[in-house]
Amino acid sequence: MKARPSLMERCLAVPSRIYRARTAYLFLLPGLVLFVLFLIYPMAYSLRISFYDWNVIKPLKSEFVGLDNYKALLADPIFRRAVLNTLAYTAITVPAQMILALAVAILLDQRIRGKTFFRVAYYLPVITSWVIVTLIFEYLFNSQAGLINYLLRDLLGLVGEPIRWLADPILTMVPINLLGIWKGVGWSAIILLAALQAIPAELLEAAAIDGADPWRRLQHVTLPLLRPTLVFLLVVLVIGGLNLYISVLLMTNGGQPLDLTHSVLTLMYKETFDRLNFGGGAAISYLLTAFVFVVSLVQIRLLRQRVEQ
Amino acid sequence: MKRKEWTVVMMSSLLIVGLVLASCGPTPTSAPEPTAPSQAVEEPTKAPSPTEAPAKETVTYWHTMSDAEVEAMEEVIAMFEAEHPNIQVEMTRYAYDDFKSALLTSLAGGEGPDTARLDIIWVPEFAELEALVALDEAMPDFDQIAANTFPGPLATNHWQGHYYGLPQDTNTQVLLWNKDLFDAAGISAPPATMEEFAEVACTLSKGEEQYGYAMGGTYFWAPAPIFYSMGGKVVDDGITTADGFINGPESVAAFQMLTDLYNDGCLSPNLLGGGIGTADGHATGLYAMIVDGPWMVDIYKADYPDFEVNFAPIPTGPDGTTSSVVGGENIVVFDGSEHQEAAMEWTRFLLTEEAQLKMAERGVIPVLSTVIGDPSLPDYFGVFLEQLKTAQARVPHPKWGDMDGAINNAYQRMLRGEQTVQEALDQAAQEINALLAE
Repeated sequence: MKARPSLMERCLAVPSRIYRARTAYLFLLPGLVLFVLFLIYPMAYSLRISFYDWNVIKPLKSEFVGLDNYKALLADPIFRRAVLNTLAYTAITVPAQMILALAVAILLDQRIRGKTFFRVAYYLPVITSWVIVTLIFEYLFNSQAGLINYLLRDLLGLVGEPIRWLADPILTMVPINLLGIWKGVGWSAIILLAALQAIPAELLEAAAIDGADPWRRLQHVTLPLLRPTLVFLLVVLVIGGLNLYISVLLMTNGGQPLDLTHSVLTLMYKETFDRLNFGGGAAISYLLTAFVFVVSLVQIRLLRQRVEQ
Repeated sequence: MKRKEWTVVMMSSLLIVGLVLASCGPTPTSAPEPTAPSQAVEEPTKAPSPTEAPAKETVTYWHTMSDAEVEAMEEVIAMFEAEHPNIQVEMTRYAYDDFKSALLTSLAGGEGPDTARLDIIWVPEFAELEALVALDEAMPDFDQIAANTFPGPLATNHWQGHYYGLPQDTNTQVLLWNKDLFDAAGISAPPATMEEFAEVACTLSKGEEQYGYAMGGTYFWAPAPIFYSMGGKVVDDGITTADGFINGPESVAAFQMLTDLYNDGCLSPNLLGGGIGTADGHATGLYAMIVDGPWMVDIYKADYPDFEVNFAPIPTGPDGTTSSVVGGENIVVFDGSEHQEAAMEWTRFLLTEEAQLKMAERGVIPVLSTVIGDPSLPDYFGVFLEQLKTAQARVPHPKWGDMDGAINNAYQRMLRGEQTVQEALDQAAQEINALLAE
């Protein structure tokens, strides 16, 4: 017996393709519910906050200010500096991580003694907590009692005065960037190692027989075959770089000195929770999200092309 | 069969829409989707059930106390519950740095506490957000309780004509001097005047090996005792302008002295960041003098049990008087609390002599003038209580955090030689005036 379609069914008429896969959609529903509830809904809510002078306790008393929060941000030299710091961090740490990781992966791919030990050693920084390694770097770069100054001044005599690493807005970037590279290399190396091992040995052998030296084999066989993996790393590392937060928050005490050392996210935290400017904080996260979104679109397009080739 | 499956999908999606709408709207009046099943909307609203037995009322109390303070507070709660069998106090501890964000997010979600112990500088900020109960209106006996507290700490609860809390504890900073270093240099006593202080600081400095004076950072709390003692002011008494105050001659003289000490190598460079902390440096003989609070006794007892802690009042300024900065915490009741009466009863109890004396056992300075001179108070409280008589409160204003930032940045610029002291403070005055005008 065929039931007459109700009004609701007619309004919500769905393409037959979706209808046929209804059981799959049914199973997808629980995950979708969580996704909407904990990601989409807060994101939409936060977008709304970014257009208000938001009162977090009494939202009804919030004042609609249109694009004022965004305008104020784009005119704010502290925000521009935070963007610059974040972009510089990404531009430095991402290529450095990829190049070092490639070198480590190639070395780990050789027949060497203690391979397992090295694999563990390079991966260890990845699984340690950001907070702990940041504190360790802070000790290393302490201007009065740090190991780095001891090496540079007392042991090697390269500098006369102790360097005040964490008191200078530019010098502070040295430990922050070094930490980012050191902590990230192991992860990229493991991904690249897996990709290296998937390269058929015959290809490299054939190239060797044709007279290609190791450098040419890397250039013309290994690297082209690693391309999809490298693009994947690029996408993930760039997103990670733009989300720079914990190390900056701890090492600069939230933007010290003079608010010149903020990353975009530490500034977002300061605006939101120190200054209680929830509208401004939400606007910062939206600008960052928009930027990450555009960058990712470009990169994913890049990724797709390479794979299809 | 097929129709049934479809119905399940539809019903569950509608339920989600209903739930989201019901929970997202800031008002309970936000209209539910007309097609949504009504039970989905009703679910989140919790009606008080009349069947509940007359249970104990629970008052939640959030704070940022130390281990020692928590132990004493547990005893205070036990004393309170013995007197009030119908009320139970549930305390939750937070790290200071996370406290404000934790409070804000939970208050925004309607899950905030009934009461909290707030840093005195946060009360105007939360009052401005309309998160707090004006206790002078809500508590009929407010004036009697307030009359027994020190005026300085009480004043930090005042914002736009009302008192939004009561002082729970207070503190101030005094001078700590390392007696071994003083003895070695043949100096018998801590400096009494600022001139002596600057002189001693340089006498006790030996390049990178030893500094006469060190401070924890450039945030206002660090220079505040010297600033106030030298007659510095951030704004006028009516909180209308900073011009002629933060950049007035007394304020400039205070920061000029600190900048000179820094340039002469008598003030440790650690205050700019990335150096050895003041507490460790003072105990290990790197820093001869620091300025800090009563909690240093407990810290040194734990970390440097052999170190002899010596306190002295902040040296006097040009007019011959000493001063310092008022710190401490206030007890507040939140506007969203459903147990306001019980919360106020708990507030009253925290300001009783027995509760205040119990906390004092663990180094917490009482706020009641009636317990001063009580023989059970620790000896080292003497110098702090004396200092508190002239200590000054920071500007009680919701934008204080930004004002602090303006002075902090000015201090950084003068230490880095980017601006003269006068230029840096002129800029700070402008920035603070802009905040006052908002």
